Order: sequence, then structure tokens, then C-alpha cells
Amino acid sequence: MGTYSMFWRIERRLLTTNYGRLFVILLALGAGAAVTSALLNLQIDAKKRLTTEFRALGANVIVAPRQANNEISGGATLDEGLLSQVPTQYEGKPIPAVGFLYVIGEVAKADAIHFEPAVIAGTEGQGLTQIRPGRRSEYIANLENDPDACEIGAKAAAQFRVHAGDSLQLRNQGRIASCKVFAVVATGGAEDTQIFTKLKTAQGLADLDGRLSLMQLSVTATPDSVKSFIVSLSQRLPSANVSGIKQFAEAEGRIYNRISGLLSATVLLVLFLTSLCVMAGMSNVAVERKNDVGLMKAIGGSIQRVVRLFLTEAILLGIGGGLIGSFVGILTSIWLGKAVFGVAAQPRWIVYPVSVTLTVLVSIASAFPLRRLATIRPASVFRGEE
Amino acid sequence: MAALAMGMAVATAALSVSLDVGDRLAEEFRSLGANLLVTPQADSLPLEIGGVDYRPANAGTYLPEADLGKLKTIFWRFNIMAFAPILEVPVQAWSPASKNWSSPGTVGNATLIGTWSEHSVPIPDGTSYVTGIQKTNPWWHVDGNWFGEGSEECLVGTGFSKNSGVKIGDTLNVQASDSSGWRALKVVGVLSTGGPEDDAVVVSLAIAQTLAGKPGQYRRLYVSALTKPEDAFARKDPKSMTPAEFDTWYCTPYISAIALQISEELKGTDVRVIRRVAEGEGNVLTRVRTLLWLVTFAALLAAALAVGASAAASVIERRTEIGLMKALGANSGLVGVLLAAEQLLLAFVGGGIGYAVGIVLARALGERIFGFAPEPKLFVLLIILALAALITLLGSAFPLRQASRYDPAPILRGE
Repeated sequence: MGTYSMFWRIERRLLTTNYGRLFVILLALGAGAAVTSALLNLQIDAKKRLTTEFRALGANVIVAPRQANNEISGGATLDEGLLSQVPTQYEGKPIPAVGFLYVIGEVAKADAIHFEPAVIAGTEGQGLTQIRPGRRSEYIANLENDPDACEIGAKAAAQFRVHAGDSLQLRNQGRIASCKVFAVVATGGAEDTQIFTKLKTAQGLADLDGRLSLMQLSVTATPDSVKSFIVSLSQRLPSANVSGIKQFAEAEGRIYNRISGLLSATVLLVLFLTSLCVMAGMSNVAVERKNDVGLMKAIGGSIQRVVRLFLTEAILLGIGGGLIGSFVGILTSIWLGKAVFGVAAQPRWIVYPVSVTLTVLVSIASAFPLRRLATIRPASVFRGEE
Repeated sequence: MAALAMGMAVATAALSVSLDVGDRLAEEFRSLGANLLVTPQADSLPLEIGGVDYRPANAGTYLPEADLGKLKTIFWRFNIMAFAPILEVPVQAWSPASKNWSSPGTVGNATLIGTWSEHSVPIPDGTSYVTGIQKTNPWWHVDGNWFGEGSEECLVGTGFSKNSGVKIGDTLNVQASDSSGWRALKVVGVLSTGGPEDDAVVVSLAIAQTLAGKPGQYRRLYVSALTKPEDAFARKDPKSMTPAEFDTWYCTPYISAIALQISEELKGTDVRVIRRVAEGEGNVLTRVRTLLWLVTFAALLAAALAVGASAAASVIERRTEIGLMKALGANSGLVGVLLAAEQLLLAFVGGGIGYAVGIVLARALGERIFGFAPEPKLFVLLIILALAALITLLGSAFPLRQASRYDPAPILRGE
């Protein structure tokens, strides 16, 4: 008992003899811990945020009929009921899902006699604008929910010389329908030449009641997580072929790796610099403590005990700097998340113990200069030779 | 000194990587695929579903392949990373095992996609540029080999291969649906794209042109261009800009400006921005750039702290020397100047060594993380030396001030 209280008494004196230096070392450790925890937190958050940003790319999962569909007439279709079997949420994020039925019909502006062939896409479901990103112009909001409403691609709109508010005549093999344009959409893709109607209109034209050509989903998750979503969805929909859109998945994966690597490398560098900083402080300590250590040894302190003293000191410093710094870092990352992604980063407390542990390790490693003290010969120190 | 050099090495690495990485990342984003689509202006409406155009081959208009070299003559020619023309032909395909002319067997309908794999395009200035679908669509994976330009070879999609049983090494006969000429193509690879091309046959553009009877023509062109993410200025209508604004807009690599420049060169075309790619790229790139600068700032801050602390430590170690100098009659000013000069010298040497080490570190990091090595920049060296000098002076200022107040006697006694 007596030895232990002596140990802690010396420890307290070691820490508190020089407040200036204690402050500098704690500042270095704290700053290192703060940057580490902020970057680690941001790293977890960046992935989640970027998955959201990447959804500007539109659909990433396609549900199609089992057999390949090369012929237009008599091609395979899906049951419309499948749309309601798609989960509405994945990992807490809603899944926009839209079913499409494509018909190659003939289209003309109302009152015109000249019909031209065009692709008519019947759509049903939530979040068409997320599935098919583009720019809408001439949008008439109160027309959108009309059962006869339709949206027209920019190229088709120019071809038929129609604007929002105009009506279109649609026909296919003797079946006719009409619709009222509520918006013109420019996507830069094939959609620019299509006409998007309500699903019922297209089903009527194609005489395919209750059928879909395919479904498109936009799942907000990391590429790996999307893969497992695809697996579970294809078990749920055995009659359909569920596949991911490779074009974006690969690029996304690569970009995540780059960013993740960048953040990890920075964390490593920062920890390395922190240890340099603490090491500089510790080599001062070593110089100052020559006499103390010489005295301890002269009156019979074993090298082990001396080393234990300094190790404990390093650990205490690491814990202190780590606890304060990591806390500050996590708070900072909330603000940083806002600066980088426009949304406050969620503090993830798993980062806290990780970053404190790293700081303690750094602190122990940077007590390296103190090893000089172990080899001190008391006599020469007191003579002022070392 | 070691700490100083290491700190500056890290600062050098962080600066050189982040200075270079912005551009490299933009290139990385080009793996998302083309962001511009060029189609004929006066065209019948394409009947395109799932990437397949259902128009008969003789409907609609075509564009001349010979003009494509002009793409590399526009103002932002170096930002055009890749382009690939596409000509689709509906065909009947059969392998000799399933049909020959004396005993007709099963004939499959398929889409034949003609494009460039790696094509050397002559540029009007006399040089040539190699590009093709491998560059515009890097997610197209081929088992086996790509077809040679203009050779009687083809790729089959995985879906097509599975349904028809055609494998690498087989011969596939194709015939355009509305003509009588047919070609025998050797299957050299199986293509998987995760898109509609999985059910198609992909050949060299020249072969598709002869099959379709449209020599030297194509129908769609995909262009992959490096762009600056659109900001509020880029969204303005160019027609409503003042001449000065228009010049600025025209000379900025906004995607809309590049689209305009392409349509000026390729007459009779309609150049459209593929919104999902352009906007997805713009959003993410802006975020990542901010993140990158933030990380650089964090590394610089940590480097400054480390260097400052080591400078302070080195002055504190000199206490006896300072005491001796003062005892011998040096005044505080002289001691300060001497030590500051020493620190500056250290800063320059340490900064120089740090710069050299940092360049190596930047190469290692750049190659590991981004797959490229940043070029050493003289400009970074200047920043690093200035930074080293500033930080060491700041770091030693405080202990120097203390040192100037030292009373020599107790220090020399070792108290």
C-alpha cells in the first residue's frame, strides 16, 4: 500500500511540475485526437452521404422478366402486382420504385392528322424524378395527378411541336387514347424521345392489362449493400430477373475507395505528426529529469520501477488528451459534415474509443526519448558529465 | 531537425497530392461513362427501348464518321477524353451448326452494335487520336479479346451467349434483316455490361456499316468530356448573356459550353447533356473537392504543430548555452538574433530535406490511393520553405522570449 501511494505521489509531481509543458503535450495529443476522430467520423459519414449524392445518377437496380426480351410484340412482361412486393425502405432510406410498360405506338398532336411512331412509356410508382433524373420545363403541377396526364421528352416535344398544356393523340393497332402534357423533360438519354403516360393508358394501348415491361429502383446504399439487396429481392421475386446497373456501381465503388484511402492516409499522417510533436516535448522531459532519475537510482529505485513511472505518465497523458481531443473532434466533425456535404454529420460514438486508444498508443510510442533515462549512471549525472 | 523535416515532408505530400488530385478525380469520374450524346438534328423519332433502337435501318438520318476528327479541334479539345460512334443494325444471327443454306435451322433475331474498340481517328491538324468504346464505357468487361478494328470478328453479350450457346472461337453468321448479304464473324470475346448490350452482338463499326448499307455513317455518338461542375452562372441561358459573360462561359469547360462547341463543329447534330451523369458527377465532385481541401488543411495544421513544438523544444534544450552567452556579456537581443538565425537555417535545410522526402511520400500515397504519381512542383517547394521558416520562428518565439529573461547564474548552476 505504501509503495503504491508513493508511486502515485511521484506520478502526480511528474505531471504537475511544469504546467506549461503539460499544456503543450496535452495540446498536441488533444489536437491529434481531435483530427483523428473528426476524420474517422467523417469517413463513416462520407460513405453514407456520397451514396445519397450518387443517387443523382438515377436507378441502380432493374427488375426485368426472366427471359431476354428482344422482340417487341409478344415479349415477356411482368405482373404489375410485383411493384407492391418491392420493399419501400432499405437501411432506413425510402426506395423510389417505378414500373414501366413500353409500347411503340403512333402519336400526333391533338387535331393533327399526321401520326408518327414513338415510344410510349406507361409509368406507375413513387419517385419517377429520382429514377429518371432530368430537367423538367414548363411544369404544370396541378395537371400531374390527372389520370390522362403525360410528360413528354424534350426531343419528342420538338418533333410534335407540343408544349405543356397541349393534348396528344395516341394510338396502337386500332386502340386509341389521348393525354394532356403536364411537363417537358430533358434527360439527355433515350427518355428524351419518349412519352410518359399513366400506366393504365399504356396498358390500354398495348392491350396488356396488369402487365409491366420492367421496374426500376433507386436504392440508396453502398455498392456492396446494393448487391445484398439485389440478392434478397431476387429471392422475394422468383419470377423476375433482378440486376444492378453496372455502369454506375463500378465507378461508385472506385470513388469510395479513393476517398476512404485518402482519409485513412491522412489519419495515419496526423497521428505520426502528433507523435513527433509529443516526442519533442518528451525529449525535453528527459533532459530535465536526468537528476531526478539519477537520484531515484542512487537510492535504490530499480530501472523497471522508473520505466513504469514514465509509462504510466505517458498513458495518463494519452487518456487525458485523447478523451478531450476526441470529444472536440467528434463535435467538430458535425460542423465539418455540414461544410462538406451540407448536412450535419451524425456523431458515431464507436469512433470515440477507437480514437482514444490510438491516442494512447501514440503517446506511449512517443515516450521513446525517455529510454535514455534507463541507462543513466547516477554518479556521472551528479558530477554533471551526462 | 528530424521532426522539422518529417513535418514538412507530410505538408509537401499533402499539398502535392491535393493540388494534383482535383484534376485526377475529375478523370476518375469519367468512368461513369459518356456525359454527352450526339444525334442527328433532323431525324425521325428514335424508337429506343432499353438501349435498342427499333427503327428499321433505312429510317431516320445518319451522321458522317469522317467528321469525327473535328471533335479534337474545338476550344476545349483537350477536355474531350474519349468518344465512340454507334450504329445499330437489327440482324438475324445463326451459327453454322444451326443453319446452313441447304437446310435452314433456327435463326435468332439480335441487335448488332457497330462501334470502335480502339480506333485511330485522323485529326484535321495531321495527327491522329486513339479512342473508342473501351474508353467511353470502361465498365464493359470482355472475357477473351476485343474485336480488331475492321476485322471480321465480334463480341457476343453474356445473355446472347447463354441463350444461343455461342462461345469464344465459334463462328457466327449475321445478316441484316432487310438485305441478302451476310457475313461470317469469328467470336473473340464475351461481353458483360449489365445493360442491354448483354443481349447483343458487338462488332467493328465498319462491319456494321456494310451490313446496314450505310458506309461511313453512324447514328449516335457518345462523348466523354472533362467538365467543371455547373454553378449558378453555368445555368444561365447563353442567349441572355452579355458578350463578356458569353466569352467567360464559352471559355470555361462547362458541359453546356462544350456541347455548344461540338455542335458548332459537327454540322447538323443535336448535342445533348446526359443529365444523370453530368449532375451526379458535378454533385459528388464538388463535395469531394471540399473534403480534399479540408483534409489537406488538417495535415498542414498537424505538421505546423509538430514543427512548432520541436522548434520550441530545441530552444529549451539550449538553456545552458544561453546562460553562458549571457554570462559572457551577450545581451538578450543578440542571443535572440543568433538563435533565430540558427532556427531559420535549420528551417531551410529541414524544409529542403522534408520537401525531397515529401515528394517520395506523395508519389507513394498518390499511387496507392489514386493510381497516379503527382508531379513535383517548384511552387510547392517555395510554399514549404516559407511555411517552415514561419512555423519554426513562431514556435521558437515563445521560449526565446523566456530565454531572454533568464538570469544566467542559476542556469549555469544547473537549477
